[in-house]
Formats: sequence, structure tokens, C-alpha cells
Amino acid sequence: MKSQSEEKKYMPELSEKEVEELRKAITDTSQRVVAENIEKMKKADQNRPEAMNYFDEIADFAQREKEIRAAKKEGKKVIGYMCLHAPTELILAADAIPVRVNSGWYDASKLGDRIVPVEVCPMVRSTIGAKMIALSPYLELSDALISVLTCDAMTKLGEILSDYTPVWAMTVPRVKDSAQSIRLWNEEIKAIKAQIEALTGNTIKGKQLKSAIERTQKATKAFRRLQDLRKGPPVIMGRDAMLVNQTYMWDDIDRWTEKTEALCDELEKRVSQKNWVCPTDTPRVMITGTPMIWPDNWKVPTLVEEANPQGILVADELCSSERLLYDPVGVDEWSISDMLNAIGERYLMASTCPCFTSEDGNEDRINWLLTKIKDWNIQGVIYYVVRGCMLYAMEYTRVKKVLDRNNIPVYYLDTEYTREDVGQMKTRVEAFLEMLSARIDI
Amino acid sequence: MMELIGEILKLMVLSGLALAGVLVILIWKKGLATKVTYLRFLVQAVSMVAIFYLFTYPVWQLIILIVIFVLPLFIGRFFCGWICPFALIMDAITLIRKTVKVRYRLLPDKLNKFLHNLRYVLFLVFLIIPVALYLLDPPSSFDTSFLLAMLLSGPFEPWRILVGPLIPLIVPWEGPLAISGVYFSYPYVQEVILYSEVVFSELIVNIIAWVFVGLTFVGSFFVRRVWCRFCPTGASIAVVNRFKGFKWAPMLHIDKDEEKCTKCGICKRVCPVQVTEVYDQKGGKITTSMCTLCTRCVEMCPYEDCLKLKMGGKTVFKSRNWLEPSTIE
Ligand code: SF4
Ligand code: SF4
Ligand code: SF4
Repeated sequence: MKSQSEEKKYMPELSEKEVEELRKAITDTSQRVVAENIEKMKKADQNRPEAMNYFDEIADFAQREKEIRAAKKEGKKVIGYMCLHAPTELILAADAIPVRVNSGWYDASKLGDRIVPVEVCPMVRSTIGAKMIALSPYLELSDALISVLTCDAMTKLGEILSDYTPVWAMTVPRVKDSAQSIRLWNEEIKAIKAQIEALTGNTIKGKQLKSAIERTQKATKAFRRLQDLRKGPPVIMGRDAMLVNQTYMWDDIDRWTEKTEALCDELEKRVSQKNWVCPTDTPRVMITGTPMIWPDNWKVPTLVEEANPQGILVADELCSSERLLYDPVGVDEWSISDMLNAIGERYLMASTCPCFTSEDGNEDRINWLLTKIKDWNIQGVIYYVVRGCMLYAMEYTRVKKVLDRNNIPVYYLDTEYTREDVGQMKTRVEAFLEMLSARIDI
Repeated sequence: MMELIGEILKLMVLSGLALAGVLVILIWKKGLATKVTYLRFLVQAVSMVAIFYLFTYPVWQLIILIVIFVLPLFIGRFFCGWICPFALIMDAITLIRKTVKVRYRLLPDKLNKFLHNLRYVLFLVFLIIPVALYLLDPPSSFDTSFLLAMLLSGPFEPWRILVGPLIPLIVPWEGPLAISGVYFSYPYVQEVILYSEVVFSELIVNIIAWVFVGLTFVGSFFVRRVWCRFCPTGASIAVVNRFKGFKWAPMLHIDKDEEKCTKCGICKRVCPVQVTEVYDQKGGKITTSMCTLCTRCVEMCPYEDCLKLKMGGKTVFKSRNWLEPSTIE
């Protein structure tokens, strides 16, 4: 492993004191924000499902941090990843702990500005900032990071972070739908497997891999069950569901599955009692676009669900939420090579990330959006983009055309990693929801 | 004594058939058919035994042949996916390969397509050979009816090539190998022997026959459903699907909902005969004559309602969130 004193390619040398001060300030804000967000979520639904308590706890990073620290003491390795294209099954199979390390802290993005220009995606800037002051426990605890080279910002992010932690880059082909692409990607999967094995000292054999796949499939099953419950009249607030989805990024997978199943059991009971969280004619909204990371970047879901008139988020197409776990690994034969291929395909082919293109453009995403709109009965779409996120911003035009043709209102909401524009955004969101309610009334 | 053992064996098989038949109906009725692969094995086994009994009566062969020719007009290559005994043998070998965890090999897509077309050539060749042989060595007195009789039921029985895959491991009539009054055979082996006999001595003929058996065995160990890639019987079945005007004809077909498909690629990977159309096509009816309607892709597609097996306009079986039944197990 690289020693800290080695010359850094990007990162400035900060004095201990400065780091300490900054971290303290931002951590304090962060704790306040976590508490505030959860408070708001509790208030939004007076009759919040009991099972949500667990997720509130795990949403506060401290508890999981303690667990991971303890596991590390026992010799377990932690492997962080920055994008859902990273094959977590392989990490699990090597008995290591996967955690996603993207940062959602607004204030940290300002620190990132010292290293990269403000035009760069704020999520990436924030992750850099978080690293500078050792803010994110998961980023700090990671023994290695998997960086999938999806967009430009991500590509360089890996390079910058490699100043501190070994970073394994995975080249993702931009055209996924071709024989040579899948060949390249399968090789990348094999290479990552070798890296993980080298780091952990555990060889990934068929048995472990199978069990890792099955554990993840169980999680997918619970995950899908939750999303399916949101197809009907609203039985859970969108924010609550999003929080459940998001905690998967750092929670222990088996416990997460169990708790999510418990939540679904509770929700199912409510469905049978017709116990809804809001009036059934509340406009049903879907969010798509740039990932939204807990705890800070929670403003848009909060705005939508606390607006007047209120909206309810029943679905999203975000790689930080519903895209995390919806697609299962489909294994044909349980030989190690077929399992690896199946894992490869799941992480490449099923993804609807805008970093892909093909003969028909990123048709997969369009189709998936349309399916979601139909199956989840969506009445309006919020297209969320943070400034600097080129790919999502550019794809908007196409999505809008298709949605217009399908008579689904879509609203482009662009923002920054900042709390300052909340007031102004509130007006915009409310106007959109007003329009949606008017449409429903007719 | 030997015959008695044979009879007892036959009876045992018969009762097994009845049992399996009841089981299939039960499974389907109870809606337990989520694990289609197992159901398919059962259907194949039942069919194999049924065909075995049908073959006990020579007259049935022609009727089966007619059925094989006419039915595909409407149900595509359903026969290949669910009934063919040779396919059962190959699937069983695949099962063995799976349990020993050896990975299959893929044929390059181009070769696969080439073989698919080659089947029509094979089909013709096998039909022509008997005629050629007959012409090379014509009977002394020329008689049309005799000629026809020779061609249709004479030693060569060219149409037999079409029932080749129907010949299961055990045949009621004289097979190349007899154990305790029960004859064993292997698809096409009789034809291979018959045709090579014209040229070679008995020893060589036997060697050729065994090489053929060995090759197809090993072949299907490494390549899933290897014979189906160019099987002439499959040709007779596939041929009607090839004509544009008849695309409406197959009532049984795979149907795809483009919007539900995330292009996850699973259907392409799991298809035992490497059909790419289900993945490539933009939705709608999948009409390729390569598809054997085995429904493996429908079973494995993880998106609800994305792929369907349709009969007429009705959905018989559709893809679903296959993560669900795992709790029941
Ligand atoms: S292609 Fe031939 S061997 Fe394969 S299932 Fe069809 S008839 Fe049987
Ligand atoms: S398995 Fe289903 S979703 Fe995946 S590519 Fe095939 S048809 Fe599409
Ligand atoms: S396309 Fe589907 S139904 Fe047809 S042969 Fe392949 S797996 Fe079977």
C-alpha cells in the first residue's frame, strides 16, 4: 500500500489543524442534517412504519462505522466502490465488505473546488472534499476502491483518490451491445476478481461465489418487493423508500434484506387495511437523473413531498436508489465461468446509465422509463440534474421528446450541491405539482 | 427367459410413463410450472416412452411423420423443444456437464447460422442418396411401382432420416445392440450403418457407427444441443417458418415486449441453441426458425411480462420476477 508521505499527484498538503477544524464543522452540520431529514420524514408520515426505525438508525453512519471497524480488526477487508457497475458479488464472495463511497455532503464540495474547477460534477467534488478531510467513514475504512470509468468526472475521481487508497479502475465499454464489449468487460471482471483475491487473500471459489450471488438475489427480491408495493396507492413515503434503498449501499446485506422484508410485511398489512400515507389523488411523481446521495442531497425528495400541493414519489430511476439492486444476476449454470459471465452481464448490460450509447442511442433507458411510467402509474417526471453532470443533462432532450409524445409532463430541475437554492426550487416544484394536480382533476 | 425380462422392462417403463403423465398434468394444473426446465425434462421423458410404444407398431411411423410435418405449421418447433428424444439425450448430457461444472463452448454466431442453413442441404442429400444408390444399381425389371416401393419402404427408407432423432436409446425392433432381448439404438445410427454398408466392410461400418455415437456424445457434452444446430428433422419443421407469407402461421411462438426489456442479455446467454433474435429483435413475434420453443429464455428473463410464450393470442407462460418462488422452495 502507498504510504501517506509519498508525493501526491493531486491532493494538497493540508495541516492537521485545518483538517480537524473543517472536519468538525462539516461533521456537525452533517449530524444536524441527518437528524433534520429524519425528523422531517417522521413528521411527513404520522403513522410511519415501525420497521423504518431500523433504517433511521443505520442512516446515521456512526453505527455501521463501528461495525465495520470491528470487522476490520478481525481481519476483514473493506472494498469501496463509486458506481453500481462494480460487481459487489465478488467482494462478498471474498468475504470482504462492500461499501459505496460517493459523497452527498454539500459543504465538502466546496473543498473539492480547491482541486478541480467548479464546473465539475458536485458529487465528485464533494467526494474529493470528503477525502481531503477524512469525512466519510466508508471512504476512510476502504482498503481499496473500485472505480468504474463511466463518466469523465468519475474517471478522474479515481485518479485523484489514488493519492490515498489503491484504486482499481474498470474500463466500461461505452457501447454495451456488442460482442467485443462484453468480452472486454468480462476480462475486467476477471481482473477485478484477481485483485480482490490478492487483497483479501481469499480465493473466490464456486461455492462462495454461488452463495454471494444467492445472497444478493435475496436482497434483490426484497428490494423488488418494496418497489412493487409502491405500484399501487401510496403506502410509503417516497423518501422513506429511497432511504431504505440507499442504506443498502453501506449496510450488511443479509441484515438489510431481513429488515426490508420486515418492512414489506408491514406495508402489505397496510395495503390490506387500505391505510395510505396520503390521499390517493396525490400526484404520483418519478425522479430520474443524477444520483442523490444521503444525507445532504435529500432536498428534492423533501421538496416534492412537503410541497403544497403535495406530491408523492412512487418511483425513481436513480443509480443511488431503484437502479441499485433491481436487476438480478441470472445464472444459467453454476460453473464459475458462467457465474462470472452472468455477473459481468448484469453489471454491464442491464444498466441504463447515460454513459452508454448504441445505434439507437441509449434506448434501454428510454424503454425502462416508459415501463416505469406505465407500471407505477406515474403522472409527472422530475428530471434532476446537478450542474456539471453532462451525460444526464444531454440526454434530457431525448427523454423529454419521448415523454411529450406519451403525454407525461416532465420538469427539468437543475441545481448545485448547496442549500441556498431551496427557496427558489420550492416555487418551481410547487408550480409543477400544481399543474399535475390540475391535470388529475380534469 | 430373455424375452420375459424384456417384457417386464417394457411394463415397468409403461407404468413409469403413466405416472409421469399424471405428474405433468398435476404440476401444470397447480401452477407449479415455474421451474419450466424440470417440467420440460418430464415431458421429454414421457414423450420418449410414448414414442417407444408407438414405434412398436410399424404403421405409426408414417403417421408420426405426417404429424411432425403438419403440426409445425402451427406450433413451430415445439417438437424440438419438448418432445424429441434425441434432444432428451443431449439435455441429459448437458445435465451431467452441469453437475461436473464444465462450461459449455459457444459456436460462433456465423457458424451457427451457417449450420442452420446447412440442415436443408443435409435434408436434400439424405433424400437423394437412396435415389442415387438405386439408380446406380437398378433392379433388373423396371417397374415404377416397384421403384416407389423400394424408395419408400425399401432398405433405405429415406424418410426415416426424419424420424432419426425420434429413435430413443431403446428401440422395440432390432437395434445394433441387444441386451437381454431389449434392443438399444441411437439416433441415426441405423442410417449411418445402412449407408456405409454400401461402401465399406462390416468392421469399418461398425467403427464408423461408434465414431458417430462418440462424436455426437462428446459434441453435445461441450456444445449444448449440438445436433439441433443442423438436424434435418429440425429442417422439416423449420422450413415453413422461413417463408415470409407464412409468418402468421406458427400459432405458438415467443413474444417480446420491447419496453420491458432492459437488454440484460440473459435470454441470449441461456438459449441452448444460441438464438440471438430474442435479444436483438425490437419486440413482437420472434419468428426465427432456429428457436425450439424450449422457453428457457422466458423462464430466465427477470422482468415481468417481458417475454411470453403465446399460443394463438393467448399467453401460455410468461417471464416473471423469478426471485419470488425461491421463498417457497
Ligand atoms: S433439431 Fe432434431 S435433434 Fe434437435 S430437437 Fe429437433 S428433431 Fe430433435
Ligand atoms: S432476458 Fe428479457 S430483459 Fe433481458 S435481454 Fe432478454 S428479453 Fe430483454
Ligand atoms: S429462443 Fe428461447 S425458446 Fe427459443 S430456443 Fe432459445 S431459449 Fe428456447
